Amino acid sequence: MVLAAETPIVGTGRDYTHLVQDYRVHGSLYTVPSVFADEMKRIFTDGWVFVGHESEIPNGGDWVARRLGTEQVLMARTHEGEISVVANRCAHRGTTLCPQSEGNSRNFRCPYHAWTYDLDGTLLGAPFPQGFVNEKPDVRLDQPGQVSIYRGFVFANQSGTAGPLAEHLGPGGSDLLDRAADMSPTGRLQLNGGWIGQRVDSNWKMWPESDNDGYHIIFAHESLASSLLAGSQYEDVILEGEGRTKSVARDYGGGHVELDFRRSYTTELAWLGAPRGKVSAYCDDLEEAFGVEKAKSIMWDGPPHAFVFPNLFLGEMNIARIDPLAPGLTEHHHTPLLVETSDPGINRRVVLQSEAAMGPASFFLPEDVVIAERMHRAFDVGGATDPHGHTERGWVELGRGIEREQSGGGQRWSDVTDETTSRGFWHHYRCVMSGSATSGPAEGNGAAPSNGSSGNGQG
Amino acid sequence: MDRVDEATLRDIEAFVYLEARLADESRYDEWEALVTDDMHYWVPFGPGDYEPGNRVSYINDNRARLGTRIRQLATGVHHAQDPPSSMRRVVSNIEILSADGDELEVGSNFVLYEHAVQATGHLRLWAGRATHRLRHTSDGLRMAAKKVELVNSTSPLPNLAFII
Repeated sequence: MVLAAETPIVGTGRDYTHLVQDYRVHGSLYTVPSVFADEMKRIFTDGWVFVGHESEIPNGGDWVARRLGTEQVLMARTHEGEISVVANRCAHRGTTLCPQSEGNSRNFRCPYHAWTYDLDGTLLGAPFPQGFVNEKPDVRLDQPGQVSIYRGFVFANQSGTAGPLAEHLGPGGSDLLDRAADMSPTGRLQLNGGWIGQRVDSNWKMWPESDNDGYHIIFAHESLASSLLAGSQYEDVILEGEGRTKSVARDYGGGHVELDFRRSYTTELAWLGAPRGKVSAYCDDLEEAFGVEKAKSIMWDGPPHAFVFPNLFLGEMNIARIDPLAPGLTEHHHTPLLVETSDPGINRRVVLQSEAAMGPASFFLPEDVVIAERMHRAFDVGGATDPHGHTERGWVELGRGIEREQSGGGQRWSDVTDETTSRGFWHHYRCVMSGSATSGPAEGNGAAPSNGSSGNGQG
Repeated sequence: MDRVDEATLRDIEAFVYLEARLADESRYDEWEALVTDDMHYWVPFGPGDYEPGNRVSYINDNRARLGTRIRQLATGVHHAQDPPSSMRRVVSNIEILSADGDELEVGSNFVLYEHAVQATGHLRLWAGRATHRLRHTSDGLRMAAKKVELVNSTSPLPNLAFII
């Protein structure tokens, strides 16, 4: 049998339309290696993935090491000032070019046979040219099919077939990135405060869930109820009690979701935990840049708490990226959301908030890490092996609030403690993994995804 | 470096060992009693040669935030340390780096084994260098600063929710 060139090299025959239902998903999706392989193809190769921010590499020759799915890549600023994303892998014998996490280089030189590449991946030369036709091999560093930048956020699509980035982001995703970027009076974030990585022995999908789960805060983070949570931006979620919260869980479609705390804030700068007098120059800069009205809404609303599918967490004072390394191994990296301003104090406050919220020694993330690791271990041993999910064991219940969601204007929303955000992520996941058309926000109450494929999931 | 007498050196070693043992045994209140009111507890990213606050660190606690950290651990519902990790660290290579008035700067190396019982059950290995700033007070030696430079701090780390 002759395989067509387009035949997928992965594909487990898993029925993702059954394994991901409107109100529940099957535990095997977190643990089974072939599911992970399908994800690396359909989500992290065929789709758009967040790579980094252009402010991380301000000067020609700057580069940072990243991952697109499991593949090592370099995001670099060429000497002409362009952003490039290339494989961190010599085109000769495959050696990792840059083992460090960041640097500045005139070019990329492989230590094995000294093949040398320009920062855009062009092969500049290979030693002993007489052995090559035309003095050097006709190769270059592998590169994604498309790279696109929105508000400084660099995204790549390996396959080149994902369509325009704007389509992936949609109005919801674009608005979330706008709100993050507009925290800077110049409209340009400065993500140069360094990254901290957290290793997690869980599947990566615990993170789009956990990072955007409004239901767990008072329980999983109970240890902070009397200290950091009281008086914080989460007070609404933890102290108001069921039915009295003003915050909202939102699903924008496309897997982009938000815990929208804006309505719960009772003062400007509540998200910062500081009065205007402490950051007055920053507030003045906002007013000068955006006008009084828009500056006021920025000061009241603060940065979003949201997830941009599949790997970018806009965590208020943090920007985080989720790197899936294996079914049971994930890295959760974060950097403080720093702004361009004349104010000397705000970025230091942001760094302090960042250190309190995220990273392996912070007050919040380690509790979520333990929860995720406990989930992963539970799925790894119990009832999660049927490829079609034809079992009553090992399901994850995600139905909270499904009967009371509201929708309109391309969004779906509900009480902040409802699982609307997780359902939004999983709804899009099902569309992508089953090859059916992507769509707007999740349809509740048992509606099937449009054009859902049923068989081998390779549509 | 200013020389310290033999008795002072023994006091310093005893302090560093006590601090390590109280941390190993998650005896938070007793550990906290060793710090001064201006304590700075810092676990930098990479070498601790930058101004903390100019870039993100693992830990950059002033006394107030350290108090929050201890209170969180002591709630008994801090899931990242519930139950507390079983730990033992070996401290060695103790050197007096400087002695100036009431204060001493003390360097040491450590290897720490942690049994992370909260979820994975993994035996985790931590290694690095600690720099203590100790102060002679009317209550005896106290700790005014502790900096912990992990050998692998530039790689993603698992939970570091205990006192290191």
